[in-house]
Amino acid sequence: MSRLTGFLPTALARPFAVIGGVLLLIAAMLPWATFLLNDGAYPDKATLQFFDAPLELTGYRWNVLLFGAAAIIATFAPTPGKARVLRALGWGGLAISAITSIFIAGKGGGLGAITAVDGNYAFGGIVGVIGGIVLILAAGAMPLPDIPHWSTKVFGLEGWAGRIAAWVALLIAFAAVLYLVQLTLTVGGIGGAAFPYAGPVFLAFLGFAGGLLGALHGMGITGWVSRLSEENRAFSIVVLLLCAFALPFTEAGSQYWMQVAATIGVYAATAIGLNIVVGLAGLLDLGYVAFLGIGAFVAANLSGAAASTVGWNIPFPLAALLSAVIAGIFGAIVGSPTLRVRGDYLAIVTLAFGEIFYRTAQNDIGTLTGGASAIPGIPPITMFGTAFNEPITLFGTELPTGVLYYFLIVLVVAAVMAVFANLKNSRIGRAWIAIREDEDAARAMGIATGKAKILAFMCGATLAGLAGAIFVHKLGTASYDSFKFLESVTLLAAVILGGMGTIPGAVLGASLLFVLPEKLREFEDYRLLVFGLALIFIMRFRPQGLVPDRVRRAEFAGETAEGKSIEEIQEKAVLEQELELEREHEAPSAPKEAGR
Amino acid sequence: MGTLLQQIANGIVLGATIGLIALGYTMVYGIIQLINFAHGEVFMVGAFGGLAVYRWMLPQSWQEQWYIALPLMLLGGVVVAVVIAVIMERFAYRPLRNAPRLAPLITALGVSVALQEAIRIWYPDADAAQPFPRVFVDEQIKIGPVEISASGLLLIVVSIGLSILLQAYVSRSRMGRAMRATSQDRDTARLMGVNPDRVIVMTFILGAALAGVGGVLYGSWITNVDNSIGFQNGIFAFTAAVLGGIGSLRGAVIGAFIIGLIKNLGGQYLPGGTQYDYVWIFVVLILVLVFRPQGLFGEAERVRA
Repeated sequence: MSRLTGFLPTALARPFAVIGGVLLLIAAMLPWATFLLNDGAYPDKATLQFFDAPLELTGYRWNVLLFGAAAIIATFAPTPGKARVLRALGWGGLAISAITSIFIAGKGGGLGAITAVDGNYAFGGIVGVIGGIVLILAAGAMPLPDIPHWSTKVFGLEGWAGRIAAWVALLIAFAAVLYLVQLTLTVGGIGGAAFPYAGPVFLAFLGFAGGLLGALHGMGITGWVSRLSEENRAFSIVVLLLCAFALPFTEAGSQYWMQVAATIGVYAATAIGLNIVVGLAGLLDLGYVAFLGIGAFVAANLSGAAASTVGWNIPFPLAALLSAVIAGIFGAIVGSPTLRVRGDYLAIVTLAFGEIFYRTAQNDIGTLTGGASAIPGIPPITMFGTAFNEPITLFGTELPTGVLYYFLIVLVVAAVMAVFANLKNSRIGRAWIAIREDEDAARAMGIATGKAKILAFMCGATLAGLAGAIFVHKLGTASYDSFKFLESVTLLAAVILGGMGTIPGAVLGASLLFVLPEKLREFEDYRLLVFGLALIFIMRFRPQGLVPDRVRRAEFAGETAEGKSIEEIQEKAVLEQELELEREHEAPSAPKEAGR
Repeated sequence: MGTLLQQIANGIVLGATIGLIALGYTMVYGIIQLINFAHGEVFMVGAFGGLAVYRWMLPQSWQEQWYIALPLMLLGGVVVAVVIAVIMERFAYRPLRNAPRLAPLITALGVSVALQEAIRIWYPDADAAQPFPRVFVDEQIKIGPVEISASGLLLIVVSIGLSILLQAYVSRSRMGRAMRATSQDRDTARLMGVNPDRVIVMTFILGAALAGVGGVLYGSWITNVDNSIGFQNGIFAFTAAVLGGIGSLRGAVIGAFIIGLIKNLGGQYLPGGTQYDYVWIFVVLILVLVFRPQGLFGEAERVRA
């Protein structure tokens, strides 16, 4: 990004911002494809001469139109964090236009589809791309402002009035989040034959959501909301939980999306557990999925499934507890080499443990894992006389199959989050962070590093074991194949992508990594390839993740805890020092006299 | 007795393969302290490169003459492996040279996954195991009770020969001296006029070339290859490098032979049979890392993990 700064003279920033905004507006009005694609009309009538699509919030042309208008307004209105807002809008517009154009060109058989063919013109996509780039350049020419810091006293209100105003603001914000989540799930439909354009529509929408969130972040609004919610913690937790429970009542409440959401929940809970080990204690674990597996196999054997060897039928809560405990014990065993081994050697030890688990499960050790034939026929969880795989009726709304698992997992994820947050702010959590930063120094400060590290592994493994117990009931089969090395890497990627050491990071990362394949069924073959490349690119360009931990960010990006570049601060300090010297040079005796 | 000797012979052939990969691991780790997870994939790509030369470049008449086909395939494998390794170093690892140590390790995982998938998707038919031609003399050689294929014997000879050559190169040549200097102290080496970037690229090139040779010879010995051979053998090789003492060339080769023997003898004599032979290797890896992290031949102070 820094390379774009100063590409344009500052005087041209404003005109260029306007041109970019106007180009985006024009792009939205132009047709985007010269002919009907084979799989049917591209959503939002890409071939129409003029914008007549309904005001559907997920329509990509509507999104581009919004961004264009917002860019023009932001240029002239006194917008806080102007350059950041324009930059986010520019990248968003560029992403939407580029994704849509590439797809239409690819499906339509070449550049003709997005330029001119047989007297039909469709330059919408190209104009959009140019508009986005122009906006980014314009933003680069402006001085980059600090993110504004809004007071958490809404409208300056104090006392009860202030608190209620804050609650209203939070309610609106969380409702918006719920709406965004629901849109993200349903936009474009499920990937596959029924919705041939699910992939690009979804990706373009992600571009829109990213641009929007970026702009809000640049204006300081996301930061403001997060500070507000921190100040009203209990309230935010209740509202967020309610929002999560409200999701099945929205459009996303179909059987399919409830199942996807429940799966995401399992992985999110596991990812949070991994976050303790990797994010807090800084111990790289490459065999973490084994704990999910251990929890799953224990629960499978205690579920009363006919194919299991133990075959006990224990009430689910007890079985889940046992799974968690046994996984935790294994966590302590796997963690014990940390007493002697550090750094990447430790990563290899955990990888070896993970592979040992995989191989032994594959070979049906002690006839506990079913080997290649797995343990099929695990009954669904039954509590209070209800099997969890049945549809239920709540508040007069028929909720689909799987919604009970979704509710259960929401509760579990919430509990895991609470555990994580409390651990992070506890004595042991601070010890973990100290170990992550410098193990020797932590030891010198009196932290029992060995004990702390084993505890980290145990906590992480326990959470994974619990998640595994739900996972296996939901899936109905326990197969060694669900716990291979790549799953460990995927979980690790979820933690890293989201941001190490933060809760929203792990959840966001897990969601992205498990929603994307659902949406991009067409490109399923490329899933792992993209995934591998993504790991490389994240490490190269954003190693601190999407939602960075403050300390982590400082470590990875060379920034201070306030998010400012260390280089800039150093430069500033040097400049100030020089100024000071000059001043002293001019009036060498003045300060001394004043001192007397 | 016959079985034992036969298993030892098989173990030595596997050890020779692993040794060719382990040398690359140990050299790269010695110089930039990076566990180059993707090195196993370089081996795999080398095997597919050799296969590509055989399939699409050699005319029928040349395919049957091993003294023409084999060198050309080796050349193809080495070139592909080296090109991939150089690209990998330049674009994935070099930008992260001063990043926290977790970062390059995760990048290496990413490179490994991406390379496996790239081969599976774009190499014709590589979504299933591919038959690899037995280019070298197709004969079983009998030594007493032991039977060993000519390709296996070639693998042993080449592996040992190349290790000795490499050892000589690193200890005698100018570049080898620069390598040792860089591995001891990169900054001081730079002050002494060594260009660390060049040394590091050279290390990757040497490692990749050995892996490429290994890939082609392994393919012609085992007679079929798929995109997962890199990961498996890469892990074995890493174990071997650690066992021998990471950073030590001699250690890597000896470690490789020990690992090869453990896999074959463990599969034969330990409970669980061949299904558990992988498990024994991982057990050895853990035990070595925990109780003797400097390995059999490593210098204690070199280990900074």
